[in-house]
Amino acid sequence: MTSELEQELKHLIIDTLELEDVTPEDIDPDEPLFVEGLGLDSIDALELGLALQKRYGIKLESDSDETRHHFRNLRTLAALVEERRTA
Amino acid sequence: MTNDAAHGPLLAAPWRECDPARTVAWQTDAHAETPWRTLETFQSDVGAWQATLDAHAKSPCSWMLSTHDPYRFGCALIAAWERGDHVILPADTRPATLEALDALDAARLGDIPGGLTASDTPHAPRWGTLEAARIAVTLYTSGSTGEPQRLDKSFAQLDAELGMHAALWPLEARLTLSQVSHQHIYGLLFSVLRPLCERAPFAAEMCRYPETLHLWLARWHAQTRREAVLISAPPTLERLPETLDWPAVDGILARIHSSGAPLPRDAAEHAQRLLGTEVREVYGSSETGGIAWRIQSRDAGWTAFPGVEVRDDAEHRLWLRAPWLSTPATWTPQADRVVVEGTRFRLLGRSDRIAKVGGKRVSLTAFDRALGELPDVRRAHCVPLPRRDGRLGAIVELAPEAVPHTHDARRRLIQALRTALAPRFENAVLPRYWRFVEAWPRDAQGKLGATCLSRLFADLDDPRAPRWLGETLDGPQSARVTLEVPERLAYVEGHFATQPVVPGVVMVRWALHAARESLGLHGVCRDMARIKFPLLLLPGERVTLTLDATHDSLHETTHDNVHHHAPDNVHNNAHNNAHKNAHKNDMTTRLRFTFTSQRGTHGTGTLTLTRPEGACHA
Repeated sequence: MTSELEQELKHLIIDTLELEDVTPEDIDPDEPLFVEGLGLDSIDALELGLALQKRYGIKLESDSDETRHHFRNLRTLAALVEERRTA
Repeated sequence: MTNDAAHGPLLAAPWRECDPARTVAWQTDAHAETPWRTLETFQSDVGAWQATLDAHAKSPCSWMLSTHDPYRFGCALIAAWERGDHVILPADTRPATLEALDALDAARLGDIPGGLTASDTPHAPRWGTLEAARIAVTLYTSGSTGEPQRLDKSFAQLDAELGMHAALWPLEARLTLSQVSHQHIYGLLFSVLRPLCERAPFAAEMCRYPETLHLWLARWHAQTRREAVLISAPPTLERLPETLDWPAVDGILARIHSSGAPLPRDAAEHAQRLLGTEVREVYGSSETGGIAWRIQSRDAGWTAFPGVEVRDDAEHRLWLRAPWLSTPATWTPQADRVVVEGTRFRLLGRSDRIAKVGGKRVSLTAFDRALGELPDVRRAHCVPLPRRDGRLGAIVELAPEAVPHTHDARRRLIQALRTALAPRFENAVLPRYWRFVEAWPRDAQGKLGATCLSRLFADLDDPRAPRWLGETLDGPQSARVTLEVPERLAYVEGHFATQPVVPGVVMVRWALHAARESLGLHGVCRDMARIKFPLLLLPGERVTLTLDATHDSLHETTHDNVHHHAPDNVHNNAHNNAHKNAHKNDMTTRLRFTFTSQRGTHGTGTLTLTRPEGACHA
């Protein structure tokens, strides 16, 4: 099941990163976002970090193990937003 | 031929001479009263253009000029030059191209929306001064290797190159037939300025089709017993049909020139066999003008033009000096790699194209090659997209059976291509935006230029546009355009609650837009008929949009009749104008459109377009 927040994050990812060949249905919440799976890269990680800060007020240290954990897949990302959102 | 360095054939301005009966242009219309436009006519046509220009702006100023016909182009160009003005030549007539140039504050002239035309009444021309250092024209590169570049050419530069060509390949009263656009340097020099400066006739209109070439050659020779010279380009020479009776016109063409892109060797042989003479290819660029020439059936190597000095460096880059470069004394490097042997050289190909993606240097050439080697890929070209942080877009020509027709197929294909590239390239530099084509997109010069590139990626910046993947023109009134429905299309959300689809009204909008872009139909839609949307059109789906335009034949007949009235009769003039206005208001076009995919027909209908009244841009 995809939660409302997960659905929102799917749109955030597609719009922020301008993924033209991906629809929300294509993003499997348990699949890795980076390299395999959705195939995002290090530039995308930076952009996604900025978008999370802008939309939810979440500040992340780039390139930390913690960040890598949160960015593993859509579910971990949703959990992060749930826990730390200020906006 | 004397070649006075200070005074070449352009600065001599031979169109000012008093030689009223000299033939300037050959009328291609078989029913014309006389086959000729004489120097007297040319001079009064120049005067008529000057009357229009005088009424519009004080000299010196700039004009943006584009015409279909070489003759009208020549008249307008000389009219502006002799007034002391400067002329901007847009590379094509797409609305976006012209609108970008409007910023230069140059009024439009000729066959473009809002373009001024020559006064209807004859006027005496005024001759000014052509100062060698003055900028005569501004040209734009096709942008096949990046953004289109603006290039200013002085009279001295044009004069120097025209003098060289006149000495090397004198026209000697032969007819020049043009199959290329005079908006670019090659056509400007070879199709219009060379004949004007060498006092040789040129065909008043462009010779677009092989059938026309055949007909005109036969008619020209029957009338004059003289030879002709063909100014052509690879796309045209490659497509000469075997089916015409070429032996009937054998020996009439003295020379064929080709430029714009290298002519494949078998196309050179094909053209030589059918047209009965060798193809003299011209190698050069908008920046440099002519550099070298070759006849491939004799030798694949290139010979530098007289006056051009060439050398190569350790990386095989070509360096040159030529009297018609903007800095004639300076060695200037080119993007092409060569091996130089004296005044001759062999082309090895382009230097690697390098781009920076996410701060990393990548060779675009390496990407093109790696993609091109994959199964089902015929050819690939990667470009950095400046509005996407320099992320790469890839144009990939596929075998027909490999072309994706749905969202899922497209996504699978992209993943497969990225996986295939992954061992050789970093994930972050892999192309992100993919354009899969069945035929390589080219402009009229035979290049995948900036115009094609901007159309291929236009949907990235316009969330309401379809993804354009190429088009085939089946004559001037019909086109087949390949489109894909972008997944992020603004229209698809929320039309039906569960299934995102393209609303019918959007298909109509796309058809109108494509008619404007591909067929140059600028009308306003007044009416729709027989509109049907049998199948839903889904995100990611690939469709062919077929367009067929018919102009209202009833009114064209009326218009033709008007021509038979005596134009100088005052009484008839009022009558004429009434007819003209009626014609203008009633100028309607019926546009039939059909969207089809592998699944069937998604939309079809007939739109009635009326030309907007007083379509003026000035």
